[in-house]
Amino acid sequence: MHEPKIIGFLCNWCSYRGADTAGMARLKYPPNVKIVRVPCSGRVSPELVLRTFREGADGVMVLGCHIGDCHYATGNHRTAKRMPVLRKLLEYNGIDPERLCIDWVSAAEGEKFATVIQQFTEKIKAMPPFVEVMG
Amino acid sequence: MSDRLPALRAAIEKLLPEVDGVLGLRTGPAGIVAPHLFVKERAATLDALAIWPKEPVPDVLKKILKAHPTAKLGIVCRRCEERGIVEMAKHAQFSLENVTLIGLQCTHDEAVFCRCSKPATIHAKITVGTPIEGVPDSVTDDFLKLDRDARLAFWKEHFLHCIKCYGCRNVCPQCFCNVCALEDETWVETGRLPMPVPPMYHLVRAMHMTAKCVACRECEETCPAGIPLAIHFRLIARDVEAMFKYETGAVITQSPPQLLVLEEGEYERTGLPH
Repeated sequence: MHEPKIIGFLCNWCSYRGADTAGMARLKYPPNVKIVRVPCSGRVSPELVLRTFREGADGVMVLGCHIGDCHYATGNHRTAKRMPVLRKLLEYNGIDPERLCIDWVSAAEGEKFATVIQQFTEKIKAMPPFVEVMG
Repeated sequence: MSDRLPALRAAIEKLLPEVDGVLGLRTGPAGIVAPHLFVKERAATLDALAIWPKEPVPDVLKKILKAHPTAKLGIVCRRCEERGIVEMAKHAQFSLENVTLIGLQCTHDEAVFCRCSKPATIHAKITVGTPIEGVPDSVTDDFLKLDRDARLAFWKEHFLHCIKCYGCRNVCPQCFCNVCALEDETWVETGRLPMPVPPMYHLVRAMHMTAKCVACRECEETCPAGIPLAIHFRLIARDVEAMFKYETGAVITQSPPQLLVLEEGEYERTGLPH
């Protein structure tokens, strides 16, 4: 078992606050996820996700506000529209689409945040390192 | 193929007095087929009217209309080019108001050559030739049968030959952004050959063609390395159709899904968690 490198893009208004909530509640979750705070999950372009993989990340998480709760009203609609397409593209290129996690975590959902991180880290741990797969 | 040429010529001659010019293909003095603007003052050039091979004519239309926005133009277009013109108009490249479409129906052989699933024009008021049924895209379907490792190996092998000439982007009628992400050092490393894995250039381009690719196969035709690029675009077009009920270039009044907010039922079809 390797220690995977995971990059998490967290939206400032919900998921990043959710991470805070998890911390304040002293919830335990694996330390593999390196968090990058972004203004909105809609800020995370497909290029950014691809570059993260290109740099050797084993997994990428994009966490945003629940649909309808976006600070910018429809910013996460973009995420919901482009990320499924990107997952399909990864699949067509022989990259496991499960390496890209998209989920919605609100500021109050500290517990959900810990669970999402826990489950995703376990899933990525079971996969071989990304750079090895790419050769 | 031969009976379409006189019919097309007649259609252009009939349209010429009403417009400033008609865009089509012409065999040049050196025997090379290239886009040409036929005008009534020089109608004799119609003698060299050509219909094959396919050239990116909509791109020329866009360039002329950028320079002369009020020009009234006709254009000879196949179904894929027609799609491209509609999509360009949706992305505010020009207005369809001053454009008259002359639909040129492809033959079965041409459809087989392009692996085209929908070769019959739907928007053009004037049409030449008989509409035909589409053919299955065996290259894409065969690719889909590969498992994950085989797909990775498939693209690795193909992209090893990519010389990053940007030909696929330059020829693409749907690549018209003022600033191109593929020229940004942040996403695509300059001068790096062979292509890194994952191939940033091709993946970024495939993402940017979401709901834009009109399946004209110009990219494949122009690729000096013979990479079957259309596989990416066609598979994503199928997904976009399934998720967002959007067929590129089909309905003039329907906006591209990536520019809009989620609509009723769309979220459920994306397969994202609830």
